Amino acid sequence: MILINIDSLSTTELQYIAQQEGFENWQSLDREELIEELEEAYGEQDDEMLASSLKGKQIRKRFCNSLTDFRGNQQNVNGLPGVEELPEIYAETAIHLLLRDPEWAFAYWSISPATKIQVFGEDDQLGGELFLRISVTDKAKTETKSFDIAIGPHDNQWNINLPTLGKTYSVTLCYKDRKGMEMALAESKELQTYAPYWGDHFDDMAMNPQLFNIHFSSVVTKEGEIVDNAVLQEIAHTLSKGVL
Amino acid sequence: MSKKSVAFILNAHLPYVRHLEYPRFLEEDWLFESISESYLPLLRMFNKLKKEKLSYTFTISLSPTLCCMLTDASLQGRFNAYLELHKELGEKEVLRCQSEQPEFLEMATFYLDSIKQNLIDFNDLYRCNILDGFKSLEASGHLELITTAATHAYLPLYKDYPTAINAQVELGIQSFLTNFGHLPKGFWLPECGYYPGLEETLKSHGISWFQVASQSMLLSPDKVECGDYRPIRCPNGVAAFPRDYQATSLVWSNSSGYPCDRQYREFYRDIGYDLPMDYIKEYIHEPEVRVFTGYKYWAITGNTDQKIPYDRSLAQAKVAAHAANFLYNLKKKGDILSSSMLKDPLYTLGFDAELFGHWWFEGIDWLEQVIRMSANSEEEVTLVTPSSFLFKEGELQTARPAFSSWGQGGYSSVWLDGSNAWTYRHIHKAIERMEELAVRFNDQISLKQRFLNQAAREVLLSMASDWPFILYNKSSTEYAQKRLKDHLRNFNVVYGNMCKNAVNTEWLVKAEKRDIIFPDMDYNIFNPKH
Repeated sequence: MILINIDSLSTTELQYIAQQEGFENWQSLDREELIEELEEAYGEQDDEMLASSLKGKQIRKRFCNSLTDFRGNQQNVNGLPGVEELPEIYAETAIHLLLRDPEWAFAYWSISPATKIQVFGEDDQLGGELFLRISVTDKAKTETKSFDIAIGPHDNQWNINLPTLGKTYSVTLCYKDRKGMEMALAESKELQTYAPYWGDHFDDMAMNPQLFNIHFSSVVTKEGEIVDNAVLQEIAHTLSKGVL
Repeated sequence: MSKKSVAFILNAHLPYVRHLEYPRFLEEDWLFESISESYLPLLRMFNKLKKEKLSYTFTISLSPTLCCMLTDASLQGRFNAYLELHKELGEKEVLRCQSEQPEFLEMATFYLDSIKQNLIDFNDLYRCNILDGFKSLEASGHLELITTAATHAYLPLYKDYPTAINAQVELGIQSFLTNFGHLPKGFWLPECGYYPGLEETLKSHGISWFQVASQSMLLSPDKVECGDYRPIRCPNGVAAFPRDYQATSLVWSNSSGYPCDRQYREFYRDIGYDLPMDYIKEYIHEPEVRVFTGYKYWAITGNTDQKIPYDRSLAQAKVAAHAANFLYNLKKKGDILSSSMLKDPLYTLGFDAELFGHWWFEGIDWLEQVIRMSANSEEEVTLVTPSSFLFKEGELQTARPAFSSWGQGGYSSVWLDGSNAWTYRHIHKAIERMEELAVRFNDQISLKQRFLNQAAREVLLSMASDWPFILYNKSSTEYAQKRLKDHLRNFNVVYGNMCKNAVNTEWLVKAEKRDIIFPDMDYNIFNPKH
């Protein structure tokens, strides 16, 4: 293993590491010797071997490791060494789906350079187009429907409307070539939405003012302002308009 | 006569902000203002009532990031410096008001006395660690202390990463154990963010209850019998306490809540902004950045720039009236509910602790009045904690809460909108890579262990709900963006180096020194097989 800038560590730090590594003579070594010994130990030993051979000497318990003494806190640590900018996207082909609310999800994806070449060709000579396929599954009926959203080659995120409550959704990043052949590039995990019980049982509540009071008195302010929630407001609207 | 129970849950949380590389750092004031204006005065109020042998119980969630800062010797020292500086300003203000603005003298003296008392409490009573104050009140049965997610992550957006969810929960509980010597029974869901299934992780760590947003009962897929007025048991047995939005709004509504009363103190008028630069320069931030100093002399007055001077006696009369009004509303509502539900209601009220004292200056006095009035047996309102309620009321309806949060819209839109959605691509990737590192390099020792532990800290810090919230809110966006990116970029240093079988030791010692949070971190927590 390579130790980058090990000479930037304090002698106390080096001694601590040497002790941790099982050096019996860690107290008698001077700074240069410590660096030399540590570099040698890390350089020569296979990592797996090192880990397994020393593992037994450690009493392992989660959350009981301690940090070592630090030098003074005067150094400016605003920009740490070796830190680089975040990439815009990652070199992988993957798609993720996040539930924002029961009506909207957010998808983000990336396509690896290798996959891009595979589907579009080296100089984009193969053409074709990308799209998202949204699968909507009704678990109770074991029925799946889908709809597509066309996306551009430079898109990497999309807000997706979820048409119905109580369904399970997933999104597949797809490619269609010029001949219309489709290929799935990546698929997200499923996300589930739930239909509220009272969404289908307005009548019970409308017929029973006590029931209505139990459920609505806590979500409406004394000034009559209902909690900020679209689904709940829809239930309230239906109750006030059609039923009550 | 029905009996109404009220469970106050205060969420004390601040993001991890510690910048010793600067003599003073603007965002560290979040912590100092909260200790000075909320936590210490709250402890004083609780202790005063305890001394009077008044019966009360409150629940307080102390976030692991806050606890880390409260127990950090360097930040404790800096808080003392903050108090000394504000004491000096207070002394200067008393002299200035005596000669120039006698109408403000009473408040200048009041603030100065509070700061002097804070200095005594902080140093003599708590020996710089105010967690001891909370511990002592817990030991005497006045407080139930609970924990929350390690870095207060908004959990629904990490649902696909059970290892990260587990790390947030497990580390939150471990941190609590380290600070308070026992396991918590309750768990504050950050931002009331709940998704179906989260209770499984909580149960696996021995948690008995958590709180949820108000609409989570009405939107449940099950027929919840008592709405928000009784907790339910999730199918796995963990109890969910729904927040009463209406009762909470009596306090928290920013248009009609009690803190909006015109007699109360105006938060935004502060001498840090009002007085000439030459006078105030030493007490604000360099270079001449005006900030709040805590010396505020005006009443809210109304929607006008022409404020009237704050009158503490008038405000105190309002405090008593508002406390009585609050209890009256609960009683009135409770009588109707008891006959409808055939059970006595429980009102669960969740607030940010910093609302009291810091944002709402009179808030702690209001809490005190509520406690005093409810202690009067004629008031029919009893303060309880969720744990004590569960102990007495074993039988609860089993039902599933709905996906929800207390944010705008009631779901995840605050933490996932155009301003912050970009962050999840990076945070999720960091989690995936952290899992990969934990599997590939499990149970390392020494340098590699420290390197990987620091990587785990950086991932957890990037998950804090505070950063996307600040980006959404467009307040300190530059700082939030920098913090988020820094943590992610720092993580990438470890990932990149470990993939090359290298440890960047210079980075490591500096990173450890900067983000010293969770000193007992074990990166193996990110190993899905652990």
